[in-house]
Amino acid sequence: MISISNISKSYNSVEVLNVENIEIPKGQNFGLVGNNGAGKTTLFSLLLDLIKPTTGEITSGEIVVSKSEDWKPFTSAFIDESFLIGYLTPEEYFYFIGELRGVSKPDVDEMLAEFEDFFHGEILSQKKYLRDLSKGNQKKVGIVAALIGTPEVIILDEPFANLDPTTQIRLKKIISDLTQQKQTTVLISSHDLMHVTDVCKRIVVLEKGKVVKDIATTQETLKELEEYFSQ
Amino acid sequence: MLKKFLYLQWKQFRRSSYFEAALAIKILMVLGILYFGGIAILAGVGGYFILRKAIPDVDPILSLNRFMIYWWLFDLLIRYFIQQVPVLNIKPLMIIPVKRNQVVKFLLGKTALSFFNILPLLFFVPFSIVLTVKGYNPLYVLSWFVGVLSIILFNNFAIFLINKTKTYFFIIIGAVSVLIALQYYGIFDITQYAAIFFHSLYTTPIFLIIPIGLAVGLCYANYKYYMDNFYIDGAVSKKTEKVQSLDLNFVDRFGKTAPFLKNDIKMILRNARPKQVLIMSFFFLFYGLIFYTQEIYREMPAVLAFASMFVTGGFLLSFGQLVPSWDSEYYKLMMSQNIPYREYLKSKLILMIFAVSVSTVLSLPYLYFGWDIYKLILAGASFNIGLNSFITLYGGALNRVPVELNVKAKAFQNTNGFNVTQLLISIPKIIGPMVIFYIPYYFIDFDAGIIILALSGLLGLIFQNQFLNIIENLYQKQKYQTIAAFGEKK
Repeated sequence: MISISNISKSYNSVEVLNVENIEIPKGQNFGLVGNNGAGKTTLFSLLLDLIKPTTGEITSGEIVVSKSEDWKPFTSAFIDESFLIGYLTPEEYFYFIGELRGVSKPDVDEMLAEFEDFFHGEILSQKKYLRDLSKGNQKKVGIVAALIGTPEVIILDEPFANLDPTTQIRLKKIISDLTQQKQTTVLISSHDLMHVTDVCKRIVVLEKGKVVKDIATTQETLKELEEYFSQ
Repeated sequence: MLKKFLYLQWKQFRRSSYFEAALAIKILMVLGILYFGGIAILAGVGGYFILRKAIPDVDPILSLNRFMIYWWLFDLLIRYFIQQVPVLNIKPLMIIPVKRNQVVKFLLGKTALSFFNILPLLFFVPFSIVLTVKGYNPLYVLSWFVGVLSIILFNNFAIFLINKTKTYFFIIIGAVSVLIALQYYGIFDITQYAAIFFHSLYTTPIFLIIPIGLAVGLCYANYKYYMDNFYIDGAVSKKTEKVQSLDLNFVDRFGKTAPFLKNDIKMILRNARPKQVLIMSFFFLFYGLIFYTQEIYREMPAVLAFASMFVTGGFLLSFGQLVPSWDSEYYKLMMSQNIPYREYLKSKLILMIFAVSVSTVLSLPYLYFGWDIYKLILAGASFNIGLNSFITLYGGALNRVPVELNVKAKAFQNTNGFNVTQLLISIPKIIGPMVIFYIPYYFIDFDAGIIILALSGLLGLIFQNQFLNIIENLYQKQKYQTIAAFGEKK
């Protein structure tokens, strides 16, 4: 589905990311782990063509993301709050995203009903603007909005951060279901080794912009990661 | 402690966006400050003589005192628009071991040094000096000056309490308009009564008690308010607004553009900055009064053409120059979604054209100045809709200044958006209508000028697609730059 080849990004000749090759097959649950400044968000921004690669290119569904915009209809993402429109209510925001992705209002409503548990009664019909929601609730909105329109590629940057334990567990289930049922490719990054090993079939560790580990998740993976990061 | 506060303040000042700005902007701002300051000082020095000449039989200080009521009200209005309440800086100071009354006192003291307090002083200090030189009793002049100073401080502190509700704003606006109307039609002249109060500051210094008392009282009210609310859920907290539900289904008739249009309408109605632009553009309607009322401009129809463009173009210019900056807070979302630039741009265009049309209707009272003037306004509106809209959108795409939607613009903040490209792009906006009008006017006659200016708007309609293509390409070409610029901290 996604093929990253020889991608690098430098700012003022300081290289922040240099990935030789990653192939992500369709339907994979892909986890990205690394300390602050390892290049996780940079890699995701490159995937979404929000920054220009210094070298190399990323292909998503046969489309080179920096050359054509045709990857957009089947891709969605939630990276940070700049993906939310602060002056809209959650409902208005979902409908707007729905309109952009060609999903009608009733269909959006139907989909939102599935996430009633996940929202925990704190999102819908609260008569609040997104900018007035707490960080955790904003995150819930962003994540669910990224699922509208059954995209084939979903990119979530640190989806577990700021969420309460109950929601974290629910989110893990949502992510696992996505890849099992719908052949969706999900890319997440996380600082939480436990969650990421629970959820992802494959984990790539970045350090200072380079891939240092590429593991197919097993029982031993969590231990391996913990050892790596405690060095 | 005070020294530490001053140190922080100095850092804040030195590192504010004004100083981080490019050199050209710095120079421009210094020039701007010198200009306004210079005008105030000149008016202060010359005020006495001008008033003596304009109203010969009346003592100049008495003439000035008559207008003081309007100065007072306008000062409040301008402050309401621009002056910021300096609360948000309290937060980091809350948990460090400093007595809270010291923090609050410092904050209030700091506001006394605001630009809005210094500007009127630049007028009143030289004016008072001239009075003394001209042989007015220095003690009485001093008393009057202290009175004025108290009123300035009164306004300064009043605005922080007023800023919390809109009601006061409309009361002031209403009061000003009613008073002006009553005076204009000779029904009731408030200035005569107000003059008695202001003049008594000069003649009977004991009256000083009133303004000083009010200023001190309000200062204390502020002090008490911030002391009582020195908690993160108090004065520092951002108020959660009630959601205004809007029924925008009528917008659906715009087809593919509708989702963007709905969003833009909500954006304008629910955020402080675009609301400010909306109110400002209303004042543009009165721009014509400056030009149409003066005989000299009657001889210079090119200048009138320029003024007429402004009458209907207020919203178009001030809103359009910040497209796409209005969407800067969530630009990454827009760029990762499947957004057709064309519909996005069309939505902004529809809003701008709608505003020009409304302004054209609202400027019907200009018929008072004659049919010729109104024809000019109509031709200007046509130029705005057809050409100016595209020029402004093109300039906006080059602007790349992040906008904080729900924060009011500060004084001089508009200069942030200023750069050489902006200057170049504003030339066709300003010179355009003048030239388009003047050439046929010079060679044929007035009506020919109007017809050509109106027809220039048709160009926009005919070449709409080409113009939109040019702007779309620009968006695509600078996509990465724009995302990076909008992502920067303000």
